[in-house]
Amino acid sequence: MNLAQEDRSWGALSDLPGHPMMWVLILTEVVTFGLLFLTFAIAGAVHHDLFAAGQAQLDPTLGGINTLVLITSGWLAALAVEARSVGRRGAARLLLGGAMALGIVFIAIKITEYITKAQAGIGLETDTFFTLYFLLTGFHLLHVLLGIVILVAVTFSDSLENLKTGTAFWHMVDLVWVVMYPLIYLIG
Amino acid sequence: MTQTAARQVTRAWGLLVLLTLLSLGAGGSGWTGLAANALILTAAFAKGRWMLMDFLKLRRVPAGWQTLFLCWLGLVTVIPWAATALSLLRG
Repeated sequence: MNLAQEDRSWGALSDLPGHPMMWVLILTEVVTFGLLFLTFAIAGAVHHDLFAAGQAQLDPTLGGINTLVLITSGWLAALAVEARSVGRRGAARLLLGGAMALGIVFIAIKITEYITKAQAGIGLETDTFFTLYFLLTGFHLLHVLLGIVILVAVTFSDSLENLKTGTAFWHMVDLVWVVMYPLIYLIG
Repeated sequence: MTQTAARQVTRAWGLLVLLTLLSLGAGGSGWTGLAANALILTAAFAKGRWMLMDFLKLRRVPAGWQTLFLCWLGLVTVIPWAATALSLLRG
């Protein structure tokens, strides 16, 4: 197999930036989150009053701050790829460090939110709204954690291809939150 | 760092921040209903599109991939709006 054939061995996935296997994972994740979003939206339409009451107990400002934190983290990750593409390895690592630090801030804010809910006696089994709230945001939080682990890995193994692969996952996590935030905290 | 690409990424980030603040303002002002939902979800779609094109670099990939991801984004923003609209109209 020559180089050109090898480059196309993943078919259409070879057109995407980073390793094609990461895009298999990203596609699986967006389908999974998509189904969870639709479940939440339909449950919200069926139990409108319950969801309105549940949403009123959330803090949209905290969710908004977390959105700003995550999109800023995504921005730093995207700049890291640009820096690495011109050989500025040190700058790329610093930018990735900033992206990871903001990921940790996101987790800290989310855990604070969970603690506040627990103190108010709200948990996974309170009602359908909070079951889905904890399921969706908790599942996303696990992805943020995994994303940070991936960013740590590509900071040390920092080829341009690895950076594109690792940051693609991070941007997917960011993208999912951008839809999840208005769905859970704002609309109703 | 390629200045043009970096500028494009930074411009996208600025727009994302602006739209997040707009959504937060609309949601926090107590303005509710179909129009408020439409504005907030349109902002979410626009944010997702900028992320796909400028952060994930889908601007440079074949149109089929762009269409696939934008369709996903469209579905997860339009269906929640429609579900809420049905619920509100039903009273």
